[in-house]
Amino acid sequence: MAISKLTRPTFRLSIDVGGTFTDVCLLDEETSELRTAKVPSSSSDPLASVLAAIAELDLDLADVRLVTHSTTLTTNALITREFPPAAMITTQGFRDVIEMRDGTQEDVWDSFREVGKPYIARRDRYEISERTDYSGRILTPLDIEQANQLASTLKIRGIKTVAICFMNSYANSAHERAMREALIAVDPTMTISISGEVLPEINEYERFSTTVANALLASLVSNYISRLDTALSHLGYRGDLLLMHSGGGSMTAGLAQILPLRLAASSIAGGAMAAKHIAHQCGFQDAIALDMGGTSTDITLILNGQVRVVQKWSVEYGHPISFPGIEFATIGSGGGTIAWVDAAGALRSGPQSAGAVPGPASYDRGGLRATNTDANLYLGRLGRVLAGGQVELSLECAQLAISADVSEKLGLSELSASLAIVQIADAATASAVRLLRNARRSLSPSAPLIAFGGAGPMHAVAVAKELNIPLVIIPPHPGITSALGCLLVDIRHDFSSMFQCIANVIEPGALEAQFSSLEREARDRLSREGIPPNHMILEREISMRYAGQWRSLTIPIGKEQDCIADAISRFQEDYQAQYTYMNTAVPVEVYQLSLTAIGILPKVQFRNHEVIGGVPVGKAHRHIAFDETAHFILTDIYSRSSLVSGMTVSGPAVIEQLDATVLIPPGYEAFVDEWLNLRISEVN
Amino acid sequence: MAQIRTRKSANARALDPVTFEILRNSFSNSVELMAQQFRLTCHSFVIYAQDFSCGLADANGDTVSQGEQDIAVQVGTQHLVCKNIIEEYQSDIHPGDVFVSNDPYAGGTHFNDVRVLRPIFAGDDLIAWAMANGHWSDVGGSVPGSFDVRAREHFGEGLRISPVRVWSRGDFLSDVAKLIVGNTRAPEDNLSDLNSQAEATRVCEREILRLVGRYGKGVITLAFSEVIAHVAALFRSRIAELEDGTWTTSDYLDSDPAHGEGMIPITVSLTIKGDQLSYDLSKSSPAVASFMNSAAGATLSGIIAGTKRFFPDIPINAGLINSINVELGPVGSVINAAWPTAVSGFVSGSFEKVISAIFELWSQIMPERAIACSFNLEYLLIGGRDVRLAERPIFMWYDWMVGGWGARNGFDGASAASALFGAGFASQPIEGQERLNPVVTTHCRIVADSGGPGEFRGGCGVEKGGQLTDAELTIMSYCCDRSRSIPWGVSGGLPATPQGLWMNPDSPRAEYLGAVFSNVELVSGDAFSRPSSGGGGFGDPLNRDLQAVLDDVIDGYVTTSRAGLDYGVIINSADPTIHNWIVDSDATLSKREYIRQNRHTWLAEDAEVIARRYRSGELSQLDLIRQYGVIVEWGTGELLVNTTKQHRELLRQRAATSWAH
Repeated sequence: MAISKLTRPTFRLSIDVGGTFTDVCLLDEETSELRTAKVPSSSSDPLASVLAAIAELDLDLADVRLVTHSTTLTTNALITREFPPAAMITTQGFRDVIEMRDGTQEDVWDSFREVGKPYIARRDRYEISERTDYSGRILTPLDIEQANQLASTLKIRGIKTVAICFMNSYANSAHERAMREALIAVDPTMTISISGEVLPEINEYERFSTTVANALLASLVSNYISRLDTALSHLGYRGDLLLMHSGGGSMTAGLAQILPLRLAASSIAGGAMAAKHIAHQCGFQDAIALDMGGTSTDITLILNGQVRVVQKWSVEYGHPISFPGIEFATIGSGGGTIAWVDAAGALRSGPQSAGAVPGPASYDRGGLRATNTDANLYLGRLGRVLAGGQVELSLECAQLAISADVSEKLGLSELSASLAIVQIADAATASAVRLLRNARRSLSPSAPLIAFGGAGPMHAVAVAKELNIPLVIIPPHPGITSALGCLLVDIRHDFSSMFQCIANVIEPGALEAQFSSLEREARDRLSREGIPPNHMILEREISMRYAGQWRSLTIPIGKEQDCIADAISRFQEDYQAQYTYMNTAVPVEVYQLSLTAIGILPKVQFRNHEVIGGVPVGKAHRHIAFDETAHFILTDIYSRSSLVSGMTVSGPAVIEQLDATVLIPPGYEAFVDEWLNLRISEVN
Repeated sequence: MAQIRTRKSANARALDPVTFEILRNSFSNSVELMAQQFRLTCHSFVIYAQDFSCGLADANGDTVSQGEQDIAVQVGTQHLVCKNIIEEYQSDIHPGDVFVSNDPYAGGTHFNDVRVLRPIFAGDDLIAWAMANGHWSDVGGSVPGSFDVRAREHFGEGLRISPVRVWSRGDFLSDVAKLIVGNTRAPEDNLSDLNSQAEATRVCEREILRLVGRYGKGVITLAFSEVIAHVAALFRSRIAELEDGTWTTSDYLDSDPAHGEGMIPITVSLTIKGDQLSYDLSKSSPAVASFMNSAAGATLSGIIAGTKRFFPDIPINAGLINSINVELGPVGSVINAAWPTAVSGFVSGSFEKVISAIFELWSQIMPERAIACSFNLEYLLIGGRDVRLAERPIFMWYDWMVGGWGARNGFDGASAASALFGAGFASQPIEGQERLNPVVTTHCRIVADSGGPGEFRGGCGVEKGGQLTDAELTIMSYCCDRSRSIPWGVSGGLPATPQGLWMNPDSPRAEYLGAVFSNVELVSGDAFSRPSSGGGGFGDPLNRDLQAVLDDVIDGYVTTSRAGLDYGVIINSADPTIHNWIVDSDATLSKREYIRQNRHTWLAEDAEVIARRYRSGELSQLDLIRQYGVIVEWGTGELLVNTTKQHRELLRQRAATSWAH
């Protein structure tokens, strides 16, 4: 029994366990002081990473009020397919839904690249006699005897993880529930996900796929959370454990064990939520977040102060996850992206990456191919010593690779080749942003680019320039944004139900009844999680489309009598704004209702810094070649930690910090704002 | 096909490497932006399922960039339509104009594929074309969906839109648009898709004009020709690495309704000489008396799509298209149909046969990428009145299935995948179908033994069954082919399974309706079931790894019975509930030896006797197809003499010659 503290715990702690590093943020709510730490992730046990990171902070967990955690645990499990033995039980005649999928291939031209096999093999997918129709009416009753027999078979086979996926269970899940009862009667320790509860939405492929992946992650997440819980309480922690989910909110540890698949984009969501916060801090409603790492770049848009959420996404093609997830685009462009000359003499960038192993040539760990990092090193943009001395780069190795892979093949100098490598990579990143921006036409043209990740601050200005983005923002800790995001989010649950009807003939009562039922469920869940009613926010949304269309737009909807009419006109306006035309001849159809339930957590306050200003003092000089100069010029190097609020660093300059290098080309300047963000823009 | 005028080496490129690569990437980005907009705003559920393509052409109509996710069936044809419009309108093309065409006899594919083309002007100069092409769900004709399987001429198939201007200098010509959509069953949907397509081309225009503003018109038009030349150089360097020679093969349509039984050859010759690649299809049969012919544009698309699968990393633009010499032979053949020959069934007909034939040819040239024959697109249409609702609305259950792809050298074939027609073409959710139509799907599953046996097994086909519930005035039409021209194996691999629909299967009223029929009346309670073919096998099935056969049996891809008959592997079950199965090694050795000794003889047995043993139930359909090489009318068991002769010849060529004695 720990000695009870006289003072109330006043710290908020967040932990992000990523593939390479584990980051922590600790905020003192009384002083608003933020401390951060970074340790290498353990390859074998994420719990070890968490404990190592906490140890860096030298902290008594009894002083911590709330811990929020994001992790790539489930993402990795989905990629490596480290699943427990599992079975799927489905309607007679439909055991191949997750194998047939929608038939499509990710690579539509290469006959030797195909979609990965289902997570549960055909031999472990069982059929049972039962059938419900589209309206929820029972066509064939569940064969109870067969159900009991199957339960015994699974027990004999030692299978403890089961997904129950019946046709049309979104309309009536009675049979799925009865099947679950039959299993529990034989083995109460089974971990069971049923599709009508996990995702009560029409369309079997997405629902089954989501339910199967959810079932497979349940025991992994349960074990991890209970070990984490134990470890944290050993360290004196008495508060709740919240986990960051893909939808950009947090959920309690208890719910995460029931819906573990919601954690699948946990870390990426953390980064996006941090970017949203930074945009808000800097006074922007719209922004573009660019998280560039060693092998890939994630791009997210912030619109009207919110991160966009999509209803269908995937970790692996052919295995859709239909839980709401923050919208992001991933491209294979990062520090390790390989530059090469094709058979017809054109210089290309990626998609191959040198990854962490062997890494860029300059890491001198066996990598021989020229990468973006090697070009940045050659150009002097990257220093030879990184991460405060932990990494030393070899200019000779970079030079050799650039010379052999690019210079000699194209007859270019090493300088021109290095400039070309970086410029082509930046243009490809800009194209990806352009594609995402095109789908969200209403994004303000003045939306800034918020760049983070290890490589983001290096490439941000060039990408912004290509896209005519007027401002680049680099947060104070570009390498720990996921952990930062965890400090900022509220509890968020997403509920949905099908409601398919032509909009202008809907009876307001019917709509209200269905929303009310979702709201009851939402309030119940939030109050079980200890959220008082005055901290609950319930937001109604309605998915609409032109009748006959197959994609919907989601529109906020009120509670008023004429809310449907408002929603229809809002739909028309949004459609016009996004797609440049509208269609008044075709009726608008409602497809689905959704409810976002937010449990507001006490807001963290960050400390803004007094604007001191002054003249920044460089720590060194280096010869650097910029796109704008195309030759080496002597450039000032600054240490990020030496910059205080109100200072302006004029380009050409480089600002170095532990987790990133910021490039400021000639003609640009970086202003240090009161939150210590760098705001980089062109000098007028 | 025209040759590229000059062959530029990399060093001859006028643009610097950075500008070239950025513009190459930007052109393809401009097409992606257009495709994204189209996908997000389309109305036709067929377009939604990814049956569309987008492209950017230069001022001459030569394709500069085509969407990488485009449906195979439309690739390599957009430029033909564009050139046709340029020729028709010449100097009468203005900023703000938008043209529409769907003419299969002028570079189109079939009437449903409606192309929208927007000229892009920099100042007064026409510099490029943005093209968005999508499958409208109906374009008129005698049946819903515009698939009249009985049509002999295009007049029954749908509206032919020869190039017509629908926007003139920015003004929408509503009278013209109304004339077009007024001849279809879904005027509002089609008008919406027309708008969606026109807006999508505007996205491309905006992007190209942004580049013109940034780099100047001269650089952009120079980049168009260098991006085309780049692909030509890439492709030709790859062709030059291959040995010279000529290869020839045929794939077959099931039959020509006007000429009794006997499969109809589509014969493709491929010649490599230096860096030149040529195809000759002039020995193909005359047009058939059904809608399964293809016109020149669609055949060219099959040639490009088939070739691209062996060069998946080379982008499709005029550099690739113009580097392929094509001889189609005289107009009027099954692959070069003349107006007004019916062509809307070309995908299941000639188009996918051209692709499969090309697969076999390239499999010989690049054995490391060898692939056997894949299943063939099939589609079923049930239309009537839905009496679940008081107003008894019209319903249209328009369905297509996934199937098996050919086995590959070193790998089994892909199971339950989209057709050759478009590997990105999605099948529909069953629950969505059940909500919209009074048809309950009774089952939709992978079919055991449907993959062609081989050292590497062909992918499995599927079977989907349905029952009509509350409907009236309902008719059914179907088109699939490959009920007799069954997906074949290569290098010793065996054929897969036939396609064809059964009415009221497993009941006394069971009736085999076959691969092509129309306007069959259905009443509530009627059931139907149809399989899609698997893919052919690769290599001798007697060489298949025992563990692979055992795994297939445990997973139900292969039955124990056919494991013995096709692979000579004897598997016994100790306790199937816990997946405890055992290979009987001794029995397997002797079974394999027995098959090895006898299989050549089986292919020469009296076909009439075999057909009789099928009718008596002694032999199964798969015994006939795989062991005896006999094809019968599957419903009645009547021997098809000519088809059997052809099938046996193919088995000898593609399988028996590779079997060790």
